[in-house]
Amino acid sequence: MLPEDRPLDSHKHTHSRDTKRYGFFPGCVAKESCKELFNSTMLLAEKLEIELIELTAASCCGASVVNDVNRDVARVLNARTYAQAEALGLDDVITICSTCTGHMRAANKELIESEEHMTHANSILGKFGAKYNGGVTVRHLLWLLIDDIGLDKLREMVVRPLNGLKVAPFYGCHIIRPENVNGWESARNPHSLEDVIEAIGGEAVDYAGKTRCCGFHVQLEKDGIATNMVGQNMRMAKDHGAEAVITPCPLCHLALDGYQQDAAARWGRTDLPTFHLPQLVAFALGVPAEKLGLNKHLIDPRTVLVERELIS
Amino acid sequence: MAKIKLDLFRFDEAVDTIPHRDLVEVEVPETTTVLDALETAKAEVDGSISFRRSCRSAICGSCSMNINGVTGLACKTNCKDVIKADGSIAVDPMPNFQPMKDMVVHMDPFWDKYARLKPYLQPKDKDSDHERERRVSPDDMKKLVDVANCIMCATCYALCPVVSVDPAFAGPAAIAYAYRFIEDVRDAKRDERIAQISEDYLWLCAHCYACSYCPKHVDPNNRIIDVKRAAISDKVMMDERGPRHALIVAKSIKQTGMLAETELIIGTVGRFNVVGLLKVTFLGAALGLRMGLKGKQPPIFMKPIPKVDEVRTIFESLEVPV
Repeated sequence: MLPEDRPLDSHKHTHSRDTKRYGFFPGCVAKESCKELFNSTMLLAEKLEIELIELTAASCCGASVVNDVNRDVARVLNARTYAQAEALGLDDVITICSTCTGHMRAANKELIESEEHMTHANSILGKFGAKYNGGVTVRHLLWLLIDDIGLDKLREMVVRPLNGLKVAPFYGCHIIRPENVNGWESARNPHSLEDVIEAIGGEAVDYAGKTRCCGFHVQLEKDGIATNMVGQNMRMAKDHGAEAVITPCPLCHLALDGYQQDAAARWGRTDLPTFHLPQLVAFALGVPAEKLGLNKHLIDPRTVLVERELIS
Repeated sequence: MAKIKLDLFRFDEAVDTIPHRDLVEVEVPETTTVLDALETAKAEVDGSISFRRSCRSAICGSCSMNINGVTGLACKTNCKDVIKADGSIAVDPMPNFQPMKDMVVHMDPFWDKYARLKPYLQPKDKDSDHERERRVSPDDMKKLVDVANCIMCATCYALCPVVSVDPAFAGPAAIAYAYRFIEDVRDAKRDERIAQISEDYLWLCAHCYACSYCPKHVDPNNRIIDVKRAAISDKVMMDERGPRHALIVAKSIKQTGMLAETELIIGTVGRFNVVGLLKVTFLGAALGLRMGLKGKQPPIFMKPIPKVDEVRTIFESLEVPV
């Protein structure tokens, strides 16, 4: 049920590409409390034979929060990042966080669609000799997997299929909503994560919580909100038979992995281990489990891999 | 013509203790709306099926309900867009509300939150001071047009995950409606309104954009951000965790180019709020310790990104208040 009178995003990539070099925007959390996400992304890239060139001087995307302070700052910060990518000859910027994806795409959409915004951003970038020409596309690694690698190729590359492991997808809001910013797939009924889960030999669990919010962005505002949102969603996943969760977003990961224990008092124990998207894909593609930082998770995902006889 | 199986939520609070489901088959034109299918079921199969409706054209806001698990207006939803492979459509009352009878719910909490806003103009001057109506420039009016389209259907409220875990949250529609008066140049109560909506947990919005599904394109998600910005620019109720968090995020990016996670927690909870900090960070069952034991704690001091001066230039050029 797409809103019929809203155009879907026009930046969607359909053409094939010869280069396998991508600009890479890891975002803050993959460099701080979820380093295992950064490391497993690099290991996955190696397996996929793609080159992720990190934009090391890029700033935070604004994390959906700086908009609350100023309406222009996120747009200009991201214009600076895109100018850096363009200067390196990288027109494709890959993210590994739902919030980065949504907010960087929103900024890019404003810049590309409004000459006024672009001129304004470049007037500030010009103070330090930078310029953005509007040539960058921001995509999540999940979309790269499906558009550039392809599900068939991914299926062929699997050396350690997940043996029917029941995995609940958890999208994270900003990779699907708002639909006029993302638009890569239906926000109400997405299936990219399900497709990837099935391609690597798992069984996708369908449950209403998959497109709901983890509460990360209000975890500090009032006690219990994020905990209950996590509890509610993980209860649904568990009741639909999930053994584990996969998410393309490190913020969701922090919330899901971190709050299930506290949520148990109200929602019952769920204890669902949560994989970062590249962790589980890299595992299926043969990266040794001990390299993926699974020991860093609060709910140890190795237990379920042992139960399914995927590791000993 | 198409055969549709309506999989209906049935419940009557006057007699039932638990709800049950009825499968009702109707034959309707292929292009019919869910509302028309329900009308057909009520007229031809079971007159006791209850749902609110009036205008049938997305103006009155009566017929919002859950259609295959997604909240929306039944009159604006075409059966062929939502019908499942087995020819059925599941219809349920809006979530986040107490069901009354079938798809009819108790709307009171939603109206109560509107009422708290005093949702009427409280002008700066007396009507008698004016010979004619108060004039508003097209530019000033443009800001209010989208919000004025709100039909109070409560779709956004039903979709809101924060309302589902904390009914004290005002919800998207009420905040968007607060914006409608906060940004009205004729209104005299701007800061009182901002304070009122802050008390009703403006800052609990989780930025999830679920309310971007608004059937009238009011975009409550963006109006919530507008109200937060108004709160910060007018410095209303700034000693709450919400505005502190927003400002500390901005400050962190300005100083380091990144989100310094440790500083965010301390700055949001309050540097001198020792109990709060202990609760968030170190107490036995709390997350900080568990994360620390796994080697997951964020760095205490963030190293700034290369060319962080450029980031600071951006903040200074835009006069960001940090």
